[in-house]
Amino acid sequence: MDANKVDMFMMANSKFFDEQQLFQIRERLLTLDDNYWGKLQVMQLKDPTTALIISILIGTFGIDRFYIGDTGLGIAKLLTCGGFGIWTLIDWFIIMGAAREKNFEKMRVAVS
Amino acid sequence: MPLTRTKFYSFTGVALSVGYVWLGYNQWAGAGQTPEVCLFKIATGYPCPSCGSTRSVHALLQAHWFQAMHWNPLGYVIASFLLVAPIWMLSDRLQHSASMYKAYQWVEQQLTKKQYAIPLILLVLANWIWNILKGN
Repeated sequence: MDANKVDMFMMANSKFFDEQQLFQIRERLLTLDDNYWGKLQVMQLKDPTTALIISILIGTFGIDRFYIGDTGLGIAKLLTCGGFGIWTLIDWFIIMGAAREKNFEKMRVAVS
Repeated sequence: MPLTRTKFYSFTGVALSVGYVWLGYNQWAGAGQTPEVCLFKIATGYPCPSCGSTRSVHALLQAHWFQAMHWNPLGYVIASFLLVAPIWMLSDRLQHSASMYKAYQWVEQQLTKKQYAIPLILLVLANWIWNILKGN
């Protein structure tokens, strides 16, 4: 894929991934065919900041987990009053990382 | 982090252990006599959709079926999970199978479909309104 396109993609989407993953993603994208460009454009990535806001406001209901695509864990959180409140508190600190990890996983599947 | 097979079984094991310890503690202290653990209820004073589930499971243990339904119908879901999951986990372990994990993935995939997700969301909302009206 053209280096300019890749850099444009990286600039627009860097907030969705961990810093350590950015280099890896860039390298992978550079090896890809241009046909993947359309696929990358329509990929729906989850915003870690939105996930954190949801987690702080209604994390007790597991909505943060539903938002990042962890439906099963969302149900578990919903059924247990947010894991007796403890899981809710833990998620305030890890949900952004979990969202980025989910995005990376989605990206990996999309470009494989 | 994606929920891999190992993580899934570890997480389920921990969840079941915490669930049984919590139930045991409630049995010992008396249902409804334990400290409030729902952050939403502590913060707002209103119950969350699953408040009353412990009392519901507690009522089920004493075969008070209607009382359990009144406390919170989600108690039936939780009790079923607490009953079935350990047996399923053990069976998977003995047979070196991952049927429970595969079932989890299948259910998770089904729940992303609107025809299943919307009725379930409406049910949870209805249950929540009922919970607030009851003052659980």
